Amino acid sequence: MSAAPLIHLLDDDDSLRTALSRLLSAAGFEVRSYSSPGDFLLQPLPDRPGCILLDVRMPGPSGLELQEALRKQDILLPIVFLTGHADVPSSVKAMKAGAVDFLTKPVEKGTLLEAIRRALEIDARQRATRDGDARLRARFATLTPREREVFDRIVNGKLNKQIAGEMGIAERTVKAERAAVMTKLGAGSPAELGRLAERLGRISAD
Amino acid sequence: MAFALLAEALLAAAASLAIGAEAKKNVLIIYSYGRLLPANVEGENSLRKTILEKNPQARLFDEFLDVPRFGGPRYSATISKYLREKYAAQPPDVLVAGGEDALRFLLQSRADLFPGAPVVHMVVSRYFLTSQPPLPGDVVGVPIEWDFVRTAELALRWHRGARRLVIVTGASERDRLLEVELRALAPRLRERAAIEFLAGLPAADLLRRLRELGPDAVVFTAGYFQDGDSHYLAPRDSVEAMAAAASAPLYGPYNTFIGTGAVGGYMTTFEAIARQAGQIVNALLAGRDPASLDLPAAMPTTLHLDWRQVRRWRIDERAIPGDAIVHFREPTVLEQHRDLVIAAVAVFLLQAALIGGLLFERRGRLLAEQAVQKQRFELAQASRLALAGELTGSIAHEINQPLGAILSNADAADLILEAGGDRRPELRAILADIRRDDLRASEVIRRLRALFSRREVERLPFEVGQAVREAEATLRAEARRRDVTLDFRPADTAATMAGDRIQLQQVVTILVMNAMDAVAGLPDDRRTIAVSVEGDTKGTRIAVTDRGQGIAPDHLPKLFISYFSTKKTGMGLGLSIARTLVEAHGGRIWAENGPGAGAIFHVDLPPYDGALGLTAGQA
Repeated sequence: MSAAPLIHLLDDDDSLRTALSRLLSAAGFEVRSYSSPGDFLLQPLPDRPGCILLDVRMPGPSGLELQEALRKQDILLPIVFLTGHADVPSSVKAMKAGAVDFLTKPVEKGTLLEAIRRALEIDARQRATRDGDARLRARFATLTPREREVFDRIVNGKLNKQIAGEMGIAERTVKAERAAVMTKLGAGSPAELGRLAERLGRISAD
Repeated sequence: MAFALLAEALLAAAASLAIGAEAKKNVLIIYSYGRLLPANVEGENSLRKTILEKNPQARLFDEFLDVPRFGGPRYSATISKYLREKYAAQPPDVLVAGGEDALRFLLQSRADLFPGAPVVHMVVSRYFLTSQPPLPGDVVGVPIEWDFVRTAELALRWHRGARRLVIVTGASERDRLLEVELRALAPRLRERAAIEFLAGLPAADLLRRLRELGPDAVVFTAGYFQDGDSHYLAPRDSVEAMAAAASAPLYGPYNTFIGTGAVGGYMTTFEAIARQAGQIVNALLAGRDPASLDLPAAMPTTLHLDWRQVRRWRIDERAIPGDAIVHFREPTVLEQHRDLVIAAVAVFLLQAALIGGLLFERRGRLLAEQAVQKQRFELAQASRLALAGELTGSIAHEINQPLGAILSNADAADLILEAGGDRRPELRAILADIRRDDLRASEVIRRLRALFSRREVERLPFEVGQAVREAEATLRAEARRRDVTLDFRPADTAATMAGDRIQLQQVVTILVMNAMDAVAGLPDDRRTIAVSVEGDTKGTRIAVTDRGQGIAPDHLPKLFISYFSTKKTGMGLGLSIARTLVEAHGGRIWAENGPGAGAIFHVDLPPYDGALGLTAGQA
């Protein structure tokens, strides 16, 4: 997935939206403009790298409300907020909810583009992580039930002998299953297997 | 009862009889001089009046010896005989001697004529009495003292240039007696002036001498009865002639001289002398023992002056003693029309007081008005600041939107130019947008400045709906910020009112902001505020309706009181300011809960009636 980033621009002020859109386009970005959060939510979101440039105050749901709604939907596009009046409570709330930046209008080109770049970087990293995880899950899905059972016990620090005893199978069988798991998940060492388990969320609390 | 009345009637009759018996008192007054002598006329009136006041039944008889025209032993004998026979049937109980000649006559003839009747003397000089043997115990009276020396001293003091005191006396016996008296007194004045006597001169000579006196002289005279040519005349007439001739001021001892041309002098009026005598007569008629009467040594004298002579001789008005009796002073307006003047003065004072009162009140009202104006101005400023504070968010938003657009457009243009290539149409569009946004920002600033700038309160007619619509723009931005639906329904009719349009806008702003607070945090369908303006010829009503929680009934009366607030933030001044502003425009503001949820705030404003003055309700 190496598509060019797409910047989603949300501002109810036509004039400002046009100007920002011009600026971002001139800076080489692809921009998609929306006049309200509703407008944004109604349109299908392409699976492309990018970020959201969001006006805090808009008619209907505010920028902050949209931020919350997107998080709930696991839409993790980084958000750069724009506001006409940076009041402390909303900026704190936005940043806590994971906003990349909270910019005050009028915003300078340098500041804006820097924030956008940072947002895109975050998006790329998130996207990379998310892509890695997806591949891992796909590999994990190829494991047989017995291989998964062995995997869980290995990452929880059990020895072959213990596993054989617990599962009521031969120790030799455990060794064979273990080799198959490491091959399927592409892990070169038991330690790596542990990191993969962490990403997969399969390490029990105790 | 009948008996009592009868007894009373009898007693009354007895009493009246007793009075009648007592009233049969006879008083015989014998005057020295002729009947028509001014002094006698004046004295007689006063004496009669004084006696009859106390003794209405007394019978007063007057006789005139008419000296110096008649005299001598034979004349005295004839008069005695005449009087004895005339008054035989009604002998006098009290005798009054008017003047020294009459006193002398009675002292000689009384025992023969009216034995036992006490004598009251009047117009007898103390100097004369000292020259006589002591008076019998039943001959009483208060002598007069011609204050010659005092009068002369006064004259010499007033007329600074005077070096000569000229004393005029006559040729009759009485005149010569007076001359003797004056010559005895004159040496006391020697140090003050040279004393000259013009005694017993024929009238023509005398008047010529008086004409030739010049400014270094003052004249003193008691007048005379007879001149050097034996012409008889009343002293008053002699003085009149002398005063007319004299080239120097003339002073004398008798009040009868006032008006003849004499300046005046210390004197006892004949009226006062006769009154004193009358009082003594009354005492004697009442049965008092003459010897028991406590009488003053002499009649007091008073300075009498003729104002016209004071002016003629240029006497310094300030040198006149305060107790002097000034005759013929040009009556002032006050003296001439006393009642009228008093009335006029009273009216004037009343009017002045009224005007003063009105001025004071007007001043007070002006001050109060100024205070109210100032207070209103300050309130307007407070309101302005409070509103500005409240609106900071939307103000920033409204201004920063166009500013942000301008900056971004400029930056975009910059990037476009950097990128090169002919993208002029795009750049032109950018410049057009920049211009538009710039104007937009200025417009916002202009509008906000109009709403919040510190300025004087206006009094101009304006269209209410139009003014409210102007407030709408700012409120709409705020409503958007707060996510509140604002429903403006201005009047169709062009209702006008007089006053300050900005203040009205502030009122509307306060009400709408309050309404926004009321609906904050409520579901979408309740975050709605309606603003309506309805007007006709009777006035305008503005209503701000929200769909909030409404107003607690016990809060309704307190809403418009300063510092009353149900909000966590805010000073509670908004509605009190709104009320002040509305009332300053002669309007009324009140609140009620709406038929459904929420509250309605009403503002009633009077129509513009052509007057721009302060409207009712202001004070």
